[in-house]
Amino acid sequence: MADTAQSWLQRIRELPLPAQKVKIMNVCGGHERAISMAGLRKLLPENVELIPGPGCPVCICPEEDIYDAIQLGLNEDVTVVAFGDMLRVPVNVPRREVRSLEQARAAGADIRPIATPQEAAAIARQDPKREVVFFAAGFETTTAPVAALLAQGVPDNLSILLSGRRTWPAVQLLLESDDPGFDALVAPGHVSTVMGAEEWEPVATQYGLPVAVAGFHPVSLLAAMYSTLRQWLEGKPFLDNVYPEVVKPGGNPAAQRFLQHTMEVTDAKWRGIGSIPDSGYTVTAGYRDHDARLRHPAPETPERKRAGEMPQGCDCARVVLGKIYPTDCRIYGLACTPRTPVGPCMVSDEGACRIWWASGVRMSTAGEAAAKKAG
Amino acid sequence: MCLAIPMQVVEIDGFNARCEAKGVERDVSLFMMQDQGVGVGDFVMVHVGYVIQKVTPQEARSTWELIDQVLDEQDAGTVAAAELDAAS
Repeated sequence: MADTAQSWLQRIRELPLPAQKVKIMNVCGGHERAISMAGLRKLLPENVELIPGPGCPVCICPEEDIYDAIQLGLNEDVTVVAFGDMLRVPVNVPRREVRSLEQARAAGADIRPIATPQEAAAIARQDPKREVVFFAAGFETTTAPVAALLAQGVPDNLSILLSGRRTWPAVQLLLESDDPGFDALVAPGHVSTVMGAEEWEPVATQYGLPVAVAGFHPVSLLAAMYSTLRQWLEGKPFLDNVYPEVVKPGGNPAAQRFLQHTMEVTDAKWRGIGSIPDSGYTVTAGYRDHDARLRHPAPETPERKRAGEMPQGCDCARVVLGKIYPTDCRIYGLACTPRTPVGPCMVSDEGACRIWWASGVRMSTAGEAAAKKAG
Repeated sequence: MCLAIPMQVVEIDGFNARCEAKGVERDVSLFMMQDQGVGVGDFVMVHVGYVIQKVTPQEARSTWELIDQVLDEQDAGTVAAAELDAAS
């Protein structure tokens, strides 16, 4: 049988699944996008549930960091550059104040979206007298190129406001909790391309759950789902890699070297979730001249603290942890839409709320229930 | 943000590679590929301007077909898996 989406669906349908639900979590915005766009939830058997987990780096970036970047742009004579996704994320400050990097830019701050770390260096080189701060949020796939940039050498006037995060510690946090909320894991393809699939081995060996690394084509995702469902049925979990053409054993060793050389693993805050041990990166002492947190320290003010609190009604943190679906959020599609996003899950292309909205889901669970009752 | 796209290497100058995909050319960095040889004509996965891995021509092609589908259907709601098969 050829490896098509249909054939994998057929194989999954033929599995002797019990009546109880089997929950498969993905931890990658790219995976969730492919699942939603292909409409896989509707095509799979009813007792297979697909849960989007912590897979959006923009969604978990602490708002204090965004607040710091905004304040730097507004109050200091610096240019702030950031990946485009970060510019629209609102922080929790009163509406009359500047709430996002985009608004700070409109208010006259020199804030520029970039698509690659090299652009940050190029902008710094254009005007060596002007300080440039690169606000760098992202998971390992994106943080490794930032490390490579530092390792290759950057202009004196460039510093990094680093908000890099590691995916595995967040999944481990769920696995260590009383109710992880999933029975199997589809592991992220491009994080594994850099870090190696082996990072996900403990899911099976330590926690006894099926796990498969997947690519971004529905065929690859369905193959990974089939693998984990079979592992689950047979009670023999192991780490499978259904994306071997890109995810090689050991990942990308040079990328890992640059991470180790320029950055240190540290406990780090996840927006709305709190601090997760060993889940973030800081610039290492050898590169301290390029650490924006040292070069432009942020004063700990009540405003900064408040900016880091969750906006009223926003359930982003529970969506990120896979505890609820986007539509279960109290303000999905009501106060929070892509046009007027309240939380980052509705801003980022990798946020579960934005992805569900883009795939045509407009009504919240509460809205649907109310409509049913009325109709 | 973690999505990488496949491109084909057209020209190499030190750590800089001129890459092409769908008629668009970009300069990308080979700095993270120091342990693996990358040559002109190779297909590579590019993320935020850096090559993160080499791929086979087949994988590059199938990823591009998927990206085309997503771009085409982004505003049109859902795509059935069968339609994706038809294109792969």
